[in-house]
Amino acid sequence: MIPKVITVGGGDVREVKIGGLEPLAFLGGPCAIETRDHAMMMAERIGEICDRLDIPWIYKSCYDKDCRSSSGSFHGLGLEDGLQILSDIRSATKLPIMSDFSDAAWAQPTGEVVDMIQVPAYLCRQTHILRAAGETGKAVHLKKGQFMSPWNMKNSARKIEATGNEQILLTDRGTFFGYNMLVNDYRNFPIMAETGYPVCFDATHSVQLPTSMGNISGGQREFIPYLVRAAAACGINALFMEVHDDPDNALSDANTVLDIKYLENVLAQAKAAHAMRLELLEQWGEDCVHPDD
Amino acid sequence: MSTQMTDTTNQTIEHILMPRDRIPVMGPRTILKEALELMGEHRLGMACIVDEDDKLIGIFTDGDLRRLLLRSQKPLSALFADDIIRHARTEFSTVRNDVSIAEATRLLEVREIWDLPVVDENEHLIGLVHLHPALRALMAG
Repeated sequence: MIPKVITVGGGDVREVKIGGLEPLAFLGGPCAIETRDHAMMMAERIGEICDRLDIPWIYKSCYDKDCRSSSGSFHGLGLEDGLQILSDIRSATKLPIMSDFSDAAWAQPTGEVVDMIQVPAYLCRQTHILRAAGETGKAVHLKKGQFMSPWNMKNSARKIEATGNEQILLTDRGTFFGYNMLVNDYRNFPIMAETGYPVCFDATHSVQLPTSMGNISGGQREFIPYLVRAAAACGINALFMEVHDDPDNALSDANTVLDIKYLENVLAQAKAAHAMRLELLEQWGEDCVHPDD
Repeated sequence: MSTQMTDTTNQTIEHILMPRDRIPVMGPRTILKEALELMGEHRLGMACIVDEDDKLIGIFTDGDLRRLLLRSQKPLSALFADDIIRHARTEFSTVRNDVSIAEATRLLEVREIWDLPVVDENEHLIGLVHLHPALRALMAG
């Protein structure tokens, strides 16, 4: 199924279209806003790479990291300071911005700043959260919980639709395989695409080993390129990756963020694999093997 | 066949029509699990699927469910989450409410089915002819 096209940004920032036969879109940035200077620097450096590759992208970073394994971990700059930095980056770079929220009361102020609002995977079925995201009127990035089946994500999408918001992107970020381990089931993409919405692959969280290191999560970043190429060939519309200039000292998700020195390599291959997928689609048509099964 | 019997069979199906509130009627995006619940609540082996304009666009029967279960290789949890329209039949027989009970019963017999949706000239669902009330009417005759 060729999904609908959703639009992120536009107006005073760049417009990014995701879905249909549009080019692969990239959603990325540092996991957490660490400092104003760092967040701005990352926007500029990632922007240079995306411009060079001609990849439409949406800057992503978060002001509150509520799902950390330990209360001692960096929790974020907070709503007010974080949104101000995101707003400043948006004005300075003209990039569409995405951030998540973990308290329904934060949705409205977040929606006033960002172009796309993200629902964290752990909260992907919480009605208050989904309703709040939908009511911002902004495009919603809805991540499939690690515990959720892809077919049950339809329920979550419909909670957002009930607010009148039908600008939804569904993302796979791995599925629990026992404890402290995730696997990627690529059947998730066509199954979630049955909703009619575009689908996205979150590569950096997919290689996470959740809370595998006692009080923090581990990760196997070396597998990112393999999973990205496979996902792009499978038929995604967008790619999500968290990127850092110094992963060892990143304040959040240090074991999974992609070192920016590899970003161009990974993105270039993702773009090529996606373009090949579109060529195959044009040549052979939509996948229709045993369509009634 | 007695005269009295002939009189009864000439009656239109309006006399035995099951109105909409007595049959499972649902939208196309009702999930299969909810569709089965509605069919159970109404104690009928057929669901009627209508669009936003109330036009009958599909039916789903106990027989369709049996065939689906034997054919589908999906986990049951995935099947339950499918929209009913995905498994509904979009080619089906209907009748208008001015058809006689005898004719409706003949159609049920010839087509080996238990239920016939009744629609108006715009394909809007009015109700259902179920085999048992039709037989009862004929036998009462």
